[in-house]
Amino acid sequence: MPELPELNPVIHGKLRLALLSLLSGVEEAEFTWLRSKTGSTDGNLGAQLLKLEEAGYVVVEKKFVQRKPQSLYRMTEAGRTALTEYVVALKQLLGGAME
Amino acid sequence: MTTDAEEMELRDRLKLIESMIAEGRRTTGSWGWTFVFWGVAYYVAIGWTAYDQNPWAWLITMVGAWVPCWLIIRYHHKNSSKPKPETTVGRAIFSIWSAMGVSMCMLFPGLGFSGRFNQHIFVAIVAAMLGVANGASGMILRWKAQIACAMVWWATSVAACFGGDNQCTVVFLVAIFLCQIVFGLYGMILEARARKLEAKNA
Repeated sequence: MPELPELNPVIHGKLRLALLSLLSGVEEAEFTWLRSKTGSTDGNLGAQLLKLEEAGYVVVEKKFVQRKPQSLYRMTEAGRTALTEYVVALKQLLGGAME
Repeated sequence: MTTDAEEMELRDRLKLIESMIAEGRRTTGSWGWTFVFWGVAYYVAIGWTAYDQNPWAWLITMVGAWVPCWLIIRYHHKNSSKPKPETTVGRAIFSIWSAMGVSMCMLFPGLGFSGRFNQHIFVAIVAAMLGVANGASGMILRWKAQIACAMVWWATSVAACFGGDNQCTVVFLVAIFLCQIVFGLYGMILEARARKLEAKNA
């Protein structure tokens, strides 16, 4: 029987998974947009985005727009690869469960 | 081997990924007003042409409408307190409509200056082009209402090849009303609902 793959723990967290999935469909997204789509709190969202940033899956650009701070998040190539691999692993696991 | 609970958990993750990707892709700007705006612009051009048969009526009205339209879009983009992210889907749709606009701006003056312009050809081409743009956008967004608009435009394009001048004008006016004014207002209502929902979740 083939060995089942392990799921990437950085992506496995529900909010982090939601964030990477959201970012996979857009060029870049602002912090407030990610918050409104996930319904998360500022603190939790910031912490999870930091973990993704530390893993190299997202990059952040901070700037000021009309004197207000704005954080723009963008998914990196490593993040896209990690998400793709996670989905493949997930499908393999589900396939194994169905056998 | 995974247990039933684990399997359910994994399926939940897969659903979460799908729903979030779809959520991101659904994010497009507020474009409903542009349909209404251009619908009114078409009516102005048709009315002006009917009033004094001015051969420049369409060109002047279209250029005249394009300038404020562009300025409004730029103003909203710059001053929005919650800028929406640019999506690949949004860029694809914007490209389709821009390419259609450029095609019209190239073709119709050419037809006019060469003296090969006539009302039936004009309505047939405009309707076919709008059918392509609405059809492509509708298929990308999987939006049945917009695909229905494309069908109306395609039917208008065929109808414009037959009948008299007055019938052609009436068919064009009805298509503009349905696919620009009604569809635009419908889009604006949906966008207002989405904004309310977003504000609730923010």
